[in-house]
Amino acid sequence: MAMFADPCQKCEEMLQPYLDRDLSEEERFEAETHLNSCSYCRKRYRFEESLRRYVRQAVTEPMPAELKERLASLRTPL
Amino acid sequence: MSDVQQDTEARRLAEDARERAKFEEEVLQLADQVYRVARRLVSSREEAEDLVQETYARAFRSWRSYTPGTNLRAWVFRILTNLNIDRGRREQRAPATEPLEEGDYFLYNRLEEDGGAAGEERVVERLSQDGIVRALSAVPHDFRDVIVLVDIGDFTYQEAAQILDIPVGTVMSRLHRGRRVLKQELAETAVEN
Repeated sequence: MAMFADPCQKCEEMLQPYLDRDLSEEERFEAETHLNSCSYCRKRYRFEESLRRYVRQAVTEPMPAELKERLASLRTPL
Repeated sequence: MSDVQQDTEARRLAEDARERAKFEEEVLQLADQVYRVARRLVSSREEAEDLVQETYARAFRSWRSYTPGTNLRAWVFRILTNLNIDRGRREQRAPATEPLEEGDYFLYNRLEEDGGAAGEERVVERLSQDGIVRALSAVPHDFRDVIVLVDIGDFTYQEAAQILDIPVGTVMSRLHRGRRVLKQELAETAVEN
């Protein structure tokens, strides 16, 4: 990972891998230590978590019932 | 053919039919997930319905090429993404690689600037649903495919790599970059005043 003089900038770089649980133990510890003392980054991490849920809900459309019926009709007759 | 041979053949056919019915049932159980992903890979509901229907027709036709015990969900979604490419619904171009100006905090900073301090849950509510749909569809295909599979379809990096036939490292880099592109699009199209 690149070197950052600003710890918040480094924390920003770790946001996605942190939420994806894709950091090493050491990196995760580093991110959490910083988050415990930095409300600026903490807010942005919480926002990212909410954003992922929110986007997922917003773009999810229920499947039309008639499409489901059409798919079932493609089954091989017994 | 002797009676014994006929009997063996009849049993084999019956077993084949049972296996096929079980396979089709399992594939049908994935229909909601297949539609959810298909709907975001293409731009209209009609296209998504066609794509899902073609995917099921092909999956049922090629059931023998599925190896029982392997990842059925990944197998079905691979058919879906291949059909999507075959039908020319996506431009085949390399994703942009120039560095993005904005990082991962950009969208929050923009929303906070526009609306003042608020809880993180409230800040996200400044994004409109239609705007989110538009923003996602504005993300270039190569990035969007990965976002849709991982963030909407709940696939792991490894599964997405298998489905799209690209290395896991490429899935990760496209996902990270794609999410940032999405945030920039959200800042432009989805912020409610």
